[in-house]
Amino acid sequence: MFASKRLGKELTKLHEKLPPGIALVKADDFKEWLMDIQVMDENPIYKGEIYRLKFMFSQSYPIEAPEVVFVQSSDPPRPIPFHPHIYSNGIICLDLLDRQGWSPVHNVESVCVSLQSMLTSNTVKERPQGDENFVRYNKQRPRDINFVFHDEKV
Amino acid sequence: MPPVGNEYAAEQLKNQGNKHFKDGEYEQAEALYGQAIQKNSKNPLLFTNRANARLKLEKWESVIDDCIRSIELMKDNMKAFFYLAQAQLSINHPNEALSSALMAYELCTSSPQQTSNAATISALVLKCKKAKWDIRERERIRRRADLLCDLEAILETQWKKEQDEIEAKIESGEIGRVEGQEEKAERRTEWEKKQSDLRSAFFLSDPQNLEKREVPDYLVDGITFEIMHDPVVTKNGRSYERATLIEHLKRNPTDPLTREPLTIKELRPNIALKEACTEFMEKNEGWVYECEDGEIDENPRWAHLSSW
Repeated sequence: MFASKRLGKELTKLHEKLPPGIALVKADDFKEWLMDIQVMDENPIYKGEIYRLKFMFSQSYPIEAPEVVFVQSSDPPRPIPFHPHIYSNGIICLDLLDRQGWSPVHNVESVCVSLQSMLTSNTVKERPQGDENFVRYNKQRPRDINFVFHDEKV
Repeated sequence: MPPVGNEYAAEQLKNQGNKHFKDGEYEQAEALYGQAIQKNSKNPLLFTNRANARLKLEKWESVIDDCIRSIELMKDNMKAFFYLAQAQLSINHPNEALSSALMAYELCTSSPQQTSNAATISALVLKCKKAKWDIRERERIRRRADLLCDLEAILETQWKKEQDEIEAKIESGEIGRVEGQEEKAERRTEWEKKQSDLRSAFFLSDPQNLEKREVPDYLVDGITFEIMHDPVVTKNGRSYERATLIEHLKRNPTDPLTREPLTIKELRPNIALKEACTEFMEKNEGWVYECEDGEIDENPRWAHLSSW
């Protein structure tokens, strides 16, 4: 399929120019990339912190959505951001990343920007309902989970 | 001719080699083909099979040797020319590679049973053309850059000489220090202006080649990010490459941008855009066409040939 060609082109563009608050950390192959994002405004929940995203691509990208999760690290410090749609294991519940919500015109950069704005607009420092149970019992990969999107506002 | 027994033994060894080749064990395959050749050095297919294994092992020089020996034994040898071209391309001999690839293509199209390989070989032909074009282009840009460099150096030398002259005049008291400094600054501005004029003159005379070449966005498919070959337009007026958009619609019958329902039947060809893409391709053949490494090996059409 065309995944590697398309990702190659995305990579070239990312090397040329990135929106503020988004950085490319690692893209050694066309299977897995790491990106850092930070919120650019004064939102106290996220101020001063940088978050790391892991993108995993299938051969059918961009027809298929990438799997995107936040990953934690201590050096450099990269916590999992608090958000009612982000589980403490980094799994993100966002319609854009869901099978139905994905569109092949999206790309790594636009996903980063969407996540940035999802954080920016949030006002509650909370984990999703049932976070503890989900994190303990979930064995599924993010792409196989069928999230129910109960609120469209966040 | 070798004794009949040897021919049989060679055939057995070749079959074993083919088995290893299929399993991706190219070193074993290479060794077995080698043993087969010792039993029967008159069979051109043994050489092409070993060349293919060596191609996988990236032993380019040996691939070339094998192909040449195979061609010596059998002139109309499409496979040998095909492998030869790949090896020549890998050691950066695009001219030789191109003529080998063209030979393979000709042999392929002239023989009825092998036409299914035409697409694979023509991809290789284009790849060789691109490699040739790249070398020519690099050389041209380097020459231009050298000329620009020389001219800039002349301007700089001249400016430095002027600076020294003014300095000398100040030292000898011919002009005052303040006046001298002003003059120096003026000359510096003049020099900088000349330098930028020179650069823009070079730039204007050849804008395409000093700039990074890019396909304009309106010719690029928003899904693959490639220039389109067969664009289709959706209800909202956006165009995409037909094959990739259909791939998306099969999974999710919505417009990629607006999410409105969209079916394959509703797509219309965008003929004017297609013509614009074709014209652009023709004008910029060398760099628009990007053939990925490994594409040839992955093509299933070619697989059956590895074990003749």
